[in-house]
Amino acid sequence: MRQALKQYKFDWMLWRTYEAGSKLLAGTAQEYDIALRYIPYFKDPVKEVYKAKAGQLFLEMTATYLDNIVNAHQRGKKTCMTTFCFSPAILYALDIVPVTLELLTVMMTFLYKRGTFEFLDYCNEVGFTETSCSSQRGSMGALLADLGTPIDMVVTDSPGVCDTNANAFSFFAAYKDVPFFQLNMPPWLVEERVTEYHVQDYKALVAFLEEQSGKKLDEDRLRQILKELQKQDELINELEQYLCYKPLPLPVTTCLFIYAGRFMFAGMPIYTRLLELLVAEGRENVALHKQGINTSHEKSRGFFCYIDHYTHSLRLWQMLEELNIGYAGNILSHFWAQSNPPVVKYNCPESAYSINTNTLEDMLTSIAAINSRMPMIKSIRGPYDSPYMWLQDTLALASMYQADFIVYNGTPGCRNTWGMVKLLAQDTEKAGFPTHIMYADAFDDRVQSWDATRDRFEEFLRVRRLI
Amino acid sequence: MFDEFRQIAQSISNEYIQNEKKKGSLCIGYTCSYFPEEILHSLGILPYRIKGINVSSLSVADAAFGPFICSHPKCLLQHFADGDYSFLDGIIVTPGCDSMRRIDECIRKTAVNLDLPVVPPFFFHYAVPHKITEYSIKWLVEELQRFIDEVTKHFSLSFSYDALKQSIRFYNQLRAKIEKLNSLRMEQPPAVSGADAVAAFVAGLSMPREIFLQKLDAFLSHLETQPYNNRVRLMLIGSANDDVELLSLIENDNAVVVADTLCYGPRLEIDYVDEVDEPLHALAVRYLNHSHCPRMYGGYKERKAKVVEAIAKARVDGVILQNIRFCDLHGAENGLLERDLEQMGVPCLRLEREYGPLADYERMRMRIDAFIERMEVRRYVCDRP
Repeated sequence: MRQALKQYKFDWMLWRTYEAGSKLLAGTAQEYDIALRYIPYFKDPVKEVYKAKAGQLFLEMTATYLDNIVNAHQRGKKTCMTTFCFSPAILYALDIVPVTLELLTVMMTFLYKRGTFEFLDYCNEVGFTETSCSSQRGSMGALLADLGTPIDMVVTDSPGVCDTNANAFSFFAAYKDVPFFQLNMPPWLVEERVTEYHVQDYKALVAFLEEQSGKKLDEDRLRQILKELQKQDELINELEQYLCYKPLPLPVTTCLFIYAGRFMFAGMPIYTRLLELLVAEGRENVALHKQGINTSHEKSRGFFCYIDHYTHSLRLWQMLEELNIGYAGNILSHFWAQSNPPVVKYNCPESAYSINTNTLEDMLTSIAAINSRMPMIKSIRGPYDSPYMWLQDTLALASMYQADFIVYNGTPGCRNTWGMVKLLAQDTEKAGFPTHIMYADAFDDRVQSWDATRDRFEEFLRVRRLI
Repeated sequence: MFDEFRQIAQSISNEYIQNEKKKGSLCIGYTCSYFPEEILHSLGILPYRIKGINVSSLSVADAAFGPFICSHPKCLLQHFADGDYSFLDGIIVTPGCDSMRRIDECIRKTAVNLDLPVVPPFFFHYAVPHKITEYSIKWLVEELQRFIDEVTKHFSLSFSYDALKQSIRFYNQLRAKIEKLNSLRMEQPPAVSGADAVAAFVAGLSMPREIFLQKLDAFLSHLETQPYNNRVRLMLIGSANDDVELLSLIENDNAVVVADTLCYGPRLEIDYVDEVDEPLHALAVRYLNHSHCPRMYGGYKERKAKVVEAIAKARVDGVILQNIRFCDLHGAENGLLERDLEQMGVPCLRLEREYGPLADYERMRMRIDAFIERMEVRRYVCDRP
């Protein structure tokens, strides 16, 4: 790793940059334009994010998340390294600061042209495999090199769903000798003994967190957070309804805001405010019959059945807009509440969660159900063609959003999806959705350059006459 | 004796299986060491640990699996597609790791897409937790009961706890012999080479266990001294291996593998099943605790302690940490072991390889030879007055 990278803590760098980015609109338009000249790499993500009315709050929220991490110990709080598919609500209930590896990786790949290359490589230098998922490696490398806030505990919920994810967290815990807890996911979702297993496992997690933080779970605080989550679910439901409209009345970055916000601040008021702004913009556009993307008219609509592409400058979203493609979200933007539109439309409440805040037992049962329906955790756990799994969800969502095509994008480290994506694509094609498999790495442009990724994507669109 | 073991280990089918099939016996294959053979044995079914050796093409496997998948499950799938496992009446798929659990969809879809009769009539997805707790053991007990219910219903068999208890006793006897064989490798000088020991372990998983026990017994009572003195003593750690050739490649003329932690082998500890406990609970406890696989997240310290103990017991000169490409579980754990063992003064070699036909044979041989030379120099330096 270059010496220069070791000069500053990487999370501190991110925090200062996002905070500055969130204040760019505080001045005049002229000052904003001039400021952009001084941030040649950061200006594109900033411009893309600011296209949505919630953009400024999104950057403020990101800065707050980083502030929490950087200053956690100074404020007497413990830090917990965790993963995007683990709901941080329980950590907030116990006043523990989540340090979500994938979020930090993306925050850095959006910002820097070089992405997290050197941190990715640093993981390999200390013994971690280069074939592991880059979403964790990007920021884990920095934390392995002690270039971030020290981690007090590690929690993951991907065992049974994603080996490379779980393995990254268990590697870090062993390497740094930090307490580790794993939630296990059986390969099925809807079965009494599965529910029972989820709840027992979750209770063991709470005991672990209480022990590590030295704090007892505050029932009232948990209730407050779950009630906030209910509010957030309702707002997401409204946004999902707008995602079904043609043309899309929402800005192209909406789904990114929905899931990134939830991964950062599930159950926290700041995320509710973000959703309220998104909903307000959606309502306004619907009333005015205005589309969300800033180009001419929506030529085609895509559903990403896995994740987005996160390398520098939000280029995926820029490209979709340039090509006049409506973007109907991906697997990450769905949280499967019983009131969620796809759950209602396809009448499968048994596969979704509901929130009950009556007693502590009810709340723990609810939060265990929420967690076991997190993106990826819900639908990648079992064979892809089993009930409520990847194929069923993909086809349901793509149909509901009136998608014209489906795209798979992931990372070469994603063993669990690469083991079945070719088969999934055969089935989605049979169901009438042209399906494109991207061979890129969503977090590392060195695997396949963005130019090559875009060329192949455009070729797919042209060959299948989608644009 | 070992020639026969080698022959059986290095082929998919063998005369014993064919004889059993002629007699009308059922044979069920499984993919992971976390499945208790005792249950199949008690039902009179021949258990078969599915192997991937001797594949010459991955045409079907590459089409079904993506490019970033370990070559071991790909080879298993190819064998199914080629009809090599047509003698199996059933298959048990376990989420041992992400690559291996996707065998489930890949086999079923290959059958549909290519219109091939590759899926055995009985198909079972066996869900094993990744942790050892009271509730995960309870889960596994239920899972074993679910298996018994389904297999007995499918083949119209009757299950009895008495028969299961007898099978548990029988397998414990078998384990005692395997433990004996394993300890002979560790002796100074070793009485058995690593390749021969692995051949026996792998062969034992693909023949009637009673015959295996007889043959192992006969071998152990007529053991001749083998010329493995003064060889560099190695330990082999990492990804699953059913290929005796890998051991032969490592051992060559200068080294002997005196211990290993490989799947398909006894791993480091034999772990007997409690014969007093309720049988399904006893099996669940034994198989979930037999956790030398990094799929059991958070268990690195325990696994390392066992490796360190074996290094001392077997007087290991150096450790080869190998992983099949895309096997992140073993690859990452090998990184941790390399750091910790080297710190303790145990020389290590990390080796990434492809499973199957030893495509990178010469590259591996060169690195292994260099490592063995390092051990020889070290011995020379240490032995100097």
